[in-house]
Amino acid sequence: MATPHEIVTQKRAAALQRLAARGYDAPSKVFIGMATCEIAAGSKEVMEVFQEALKGGLKNVYVSQKGCFGRCNLEPTVDVIKKGKKPVTYGKVTVDRAKEIIEKHIIGGKAIAEYIIK
Amino acid sequence: MEQPGSDTHLHNRSHAIFGDMSFFSKQMRIALRNCGTIDPDSIDDYLQARGYEALAKVLTEMTPPAVIDEIKKSGLRGRGGAGFPTGFKWELTAREQNEEKFIICNADEGDPGAFMDRSAIEGDPHTVIEGMLIAGYAVGAQQGIVYIRAEYPLAVQRLERAIVAARAEGFLGENILGSSFSFDIEIRLGAGAFVCGEETALMHSIEGFRGMPRPRPPFPSVQGLFGKPTVINNVETWANIPVIILDGAEWFGSIGTEKSKGTKVFALAGMINNTGLVEVPMGTTLRDMIYDIGGGIPNGKKFKAIQTGGPSGGCLSEQYLDTKIDYDSLAQAGSIMGSGGMIVIDEDSCMVNIAKFFLEFTQNESCGKCTPCREGTKRMLEILVRITEGKGEQGDIEKLERLGTTIKKASLCGLGQSAPNPVLSTIKNFRVEYEEHIHQKKCRSNFCDYLLTYTVTDKCVGCTLCRRVCPSAAVTGTPKLRHEIDQMKCIKCGLCFKSCKFSAITKTSH
Ligand SMILES: Cc1cc2nc3c(=O)[nH]c(=O)nc-3n(C[C@H](O)[C@H](O)[C@H](O)COP(=O)(O)O)c2cc1C
Ligand code: SF4
Ligand code: SF4
Repeated sequence: MATPHEIVTQKRAAALQRLAARGYDAPSKVFIGMATCEIAAGSKEVMEVFQEALKGGLKNVYVSQKGCFGRCNLEPTVDVIKKGKKPVTYGKVTVDRAKEIIEKHIIGGKAIAEYIIK
Repeated sequence: MEQPGSDTHLHNRSHAIFGDMSFFSKQMRIALRNCGTIDPDSIDDYLQARGYEALAKVLTEMTPPAVIDEIKKSGLRGRGGAGFPTGFKWELTAREQNEEKFIICNADEGDPGAFMDRSAIEGDPHTVIEGMLIAGYAVGAQQGIVYIRAEYPLAVQRLERAIVAARAEGFLGENILGSSFSFDIEIRLGAGAFVCGEETALMHSIEGFRGMPRPRPPFPSVQGLFGKPTVINNVETWANIPVIILDGAEWFGSIGTEKSKGTKVFALAGMINNTGLVEVPMGTTLRDMIYDIGGGIPNGKKFKAIQTGGPSGGCLSEQYLDTKIDYDSLAQAGSIMGSGGMIVIDEDSCMVNIAKFFLEFTQNESCGKCTPCREGTKRMLEILVRITEGKGEQGDIEKLERLGTTIKKASLCGLGQSAPNPVLSTIKNFRVEYEEHIHQKKCRSNFCDYLLTYTVTDKCVGCTLCRRVCPSAAVTGTPKLRHEIDQMKCIKCGLCFKSCKFSAITKTSH
């Protein structure tokens, strides 16, 4: 019989496959803060912008929620992780900023320096 | 596939991803390792981050005593406030011969302004489940309960989803991962009384009684929930367990100071540039916390004090800035580690008022079971109110000290035993502010309304606005001429000060 360790190893492999099937390996990953604090700061609306963009045909982007990163005064925060590039976190992301991030960074490939948390 | 942080150690996933962010450079993320780097609603994300591997490890290759030994060796101490060594607590319960034992996660988090546990659960609920599972295996318990306040709906929802997902994957339930170990977890909602975070009150509350503490011993480890041996730990304590199991007690023990191992999560708030949730290795100084991680005090203001430990803790002045953040150093300095509240206070805040704020809170939350706490805190609060209203008398400070010391000694539970701390520590470190309030009727921070004098200065153009807003007819003057305030009539409401468009009214404390 398989040991608990072997079972968990299998489960992790299955989880990785499911993640891959959900597009986790996409060239761009976006994580949006969705904890109580982030939502209070407006992250739900930001999430909607990304969801709308996906519906509208935005391709090769994996969009996910994430927990609180700890940057209370800079919320909502959005991480953009592009393959082969340095990951960045944007702070105080509004609906407008979210749209700009999609246009300029995710599609255009150029990070927007002024919104990045240093 | 990218798997940041999954190479050797579990901690610092966020560092691995966002390496050079200055906010993180002095932090170390063990308990919060997955917070902000995974989707908390996805068990796949947790598994990817090596979730449930620690559970598998103990079930595969460790006996229950070996697990307890490992936790003991790690030096982990409870993160809920008192700092009791976790491994020893587990051992006490493991030793008990009883068919039924319980594991409780204390997620009551009643300190005003605290949100460490909420964020931890909202960001990574599975780690709490995994920690509790490991303890269940180690002490021989089959039932876990998370006691969480109803005011945390999102945390409750994420936890519920995580429990369902863990059951579906066979991490909770009968014969977990094919072993003979069975364990399940349920959630109990608390109504949010501060005292219900105290372990014996919490258990009463789960049992359906009023949340009131009872004397210890017997300790919960021996006689806890429904009279059964019970391990109760804080959310953050639980979040450390899987890491200790996977990365080893030795590694964990290499972080921190001699008697305080690992890291501590703090909710950094108040007059500080980077408010937020931070996790630092024990031994980090308060100075590093405030100036490096916190980014200093905003608006060029001066640092005055740092409050740790919430309503049970104390305020430390500038001379303590190099104090190390660990259980013993903070206690020695006159405050406590507490559960992770950290409030930075600048020169604009009145220390007497801060003490009053915390005492008001504990006074309100006192369950009333024992007299020293119920009556004593009331008397202390009355004195503080008098002092801030300019009616302080000679001997008040000594009275506060006497009352405070007695309440600490004579109260039944930790609430009463610690309620006087904010007052006593501000008296110790900021005595001169108390004296000024009492003897000179002066509040140096211009905070205590009753001690202020409102005066009209030369800047007055005689617009008559203040005269019209004053509810007490204390302002007199003819249009276009400088107005005047009758100090005998003034009730210090501040309306004139706020309304004047020419900044012609000053408030001062002589
Ligand atoms: C008034 C009072 C309130 C408390 N509130 C909490 C709380 O909200 N969360 C918590 O974990 N511990 C709280 N405690 C401490 C618990 O009694 C207990 O020591 C703790 O849950 C043990 O877990 P630990 O060893 O992991 O810290 C409180 C204690 C007192 C006296
Ligand atoms: S110390 Fe206070 S809160 Fe604790 S049992 Fe006594 S009255 Fe209740
Ligand atoms: S502080 Fe209030 S009562 Fe006093 S003069 Fe101004 S408006 Fe009148």
